[in-house]
Amino acid sequence: MIRYLKIYKECIKVDFATASTYRLNFFLNCIIMLLGDIFFPLITVLIYGSGAGFEGWTVYEVLLIQSVFTMSTAIADMTFHGIMWATMDLVRNGGMEMVLILPVDTMFILMARTFSFEGIGLFAGGAAIFTIAILNIPAPSVWEWLQFLAFFISGLFVIMGIGLIMAAISFKWVGNSRIPEIFDCIRSFGKYPQSVFPKAILVFTSFLIPIAMIAYCPAAALLGRGNMTMFLMILPCVIFLLFGIFLYKYMVRLYQGVGG
Amino acid sequence: MDNNAKDIITVKGLTKKYITYKRGSGFKESVKALFVREKVPVIAVNDISFSVRDGDIIGLLGPNGAGKSTTIKMLTGTLYPTCGTIEVMGYNPTKNRKNYVRQIGAVFGQRSQLIWDIPPLDSFRMNKAIYGISDEEFEERVSFMAKLFMVEDLIKRPTRVLSLGERMKCEFTMAMLHNPKVVFLDEPTIGLDVIAKHNIRDFIRRMNGMGTTFILTTHDLEDVEQLARKVIIINKGVKVFDDTIENLKKVLGAKKIVQLTLLKEVGTLDIPGASILERESPLKMTVSVDLERMPINEFMAKLSEQCAFSDISVKEMPMDTIITHIYQSKGIEQPDK
Repeated sequence: MIRYLKIYKECIKVDFATASTYRLNFFLNCIIMLLGDIFFPLITVLIYGSGAGFEGWTVYEVLLIQSVFTMSTAIADMTFHGIMWATMDLVRNGGMEMVLILPVDTMFILMARTFSFEGIGLFAGGAAIFTIAILNIPAPSVWEWLQFLAFFISGLFVIMGIGLIMAAISFKWVGNSRIPEIFDCIRSFGKYPQSVFPKAILVFTSFLIPIAMIAYCPAAALLGRGNMTMFLMILPCVIFLLFGIFLYKYMVRLYQGVGG
Repeated sequence: MDNNAKDIITVKGLTKKYITYKRGSGFKESVKALFVREKVPVIAVNDISFSVRDGDIIGLLGPNGAGKSTTIKMLTGTLYPTCGTIEVMGYNPTKNRKNYVRQIGAVFGQRSQLIWDIPPLDSFRMNKAIYGISDEEFEERVSFMAKLFMVEDLIKRPTRVLSLGERMKCEFTMAMLHNPKVVFLDEPTIGLDVIAKHNIRDFIRRMNGMGTTFILTTHDLEDVEQLARKVIIINKGVKVFDDTIENLKKVLGAKKIVQLTLLKEVGTLDIPGASILERESPLKMTVSVDLERMPINEFMAKLSEQCAFSDISVKEMPMDTIITHIYQSKGIEQPDK
């Protein structure tokens, strides 16, 4: 465990060294990521400003969901989302051998090596909207904060699970640049209050691929709307992550390499 | 190397098959391939068996696409064999991978472990953490390798500004940091100039002298001649030769290939042991020289007497010629020659 922490620390140092080498690129990427994802909550403000909105949800409540979503995305981008891109790339160009000859878990080293500070801007933007939203809703209790934390971590499990499944697919579906788009498309269901979806989609977003846990459930906990169903949803989140880990490990065995 | 050394690597019936898809060229074929693709089974490595003794240097020779890299990737545990068994230092590379790869080193000539934007020293630190190398051992190993390769200053510059030869030296340093017992080298001298090749070969010899076993794939006969004691030649996934370098020379004869650019056309060469293999144009020809009958310096002297030339290059025998010689020596037909 200590060795893995040391490896992670080295990877963070390497990313920092790389970011400092290409400073302008680093700052631009931070800003572009921030602008790209912050655009969505701004549309919500515009929609509510025009008198429309999601029934039963105030603008700050919706902003709370979307800011949690933005923070989850930022943490995923910084810490583990890179495995999807890295796997796609390494499988296509045959560089996976250089990872497989290392005496560490393949998933861990790919996640660690793709650690990226660039998501920090996005996280800061999400945290800013989160703060504005939280100041405009009734103050959550300690119990609600604890629920928020449990659901937020479970939501990260879901994002990691989706990322691992997509990465695993790239071992067979080599060089398919649409894989990240499928990932984003699935994940985007988590940006909205789940009550706006029909029941069939709710079952999908709650238990099949529990993307409701990414933002909706943590935000609902802070709004005092947490319930037993949400606690039950933690189990499919854990199962989803375990399935992603299993599938990735299985697919690594099928790696064929490329010509020498 | 100790002649009584025990086997450190044992490979039995190693086979790797995979499926690829055939696709014709041209627009019509491309459109067709969108809907229907013909599956083509490929046997990259076919029932190969061999052993390597502790402290040896083994050359895995073969033309492009022979299956050398696939074999070495299976030996490093990065590819799963279709069938057959591999045992390296008592490990099965596909089982208990993490413990196994901790004991080995690998340099793939066309891939890099170094991180492009940061100095090699920082990449070494990454491996220090990965292999759990202590601070003292790390300092000692880096200092030793850097001195050996004369790269003390280079390892502090960003990798992207280093030349290919300098990067290869750093790749070797990185692969040897954890003091592996067995090192796999896949085309370690590919693309390097003569001096860089010399440095790499010298390094391999010195590390071998300290007890490290090396298995290298190459299609450069010179690598094998200068380093290996035993040669395994693979052609189209099949092992065609497995013996000492001395016995390979007996099969091939001590021959060199000389390429000449003449100033004036000549009909024949009256030099014992020399024969014209090919005339590319009236002023360009390729000559084979049997060194047992005609040492190269004497050949040069006689050549200068018989013809005027503007350019000359002395090369090793091409790999396809070597393979043909081996098949001929065994009296068997060469497949798809």
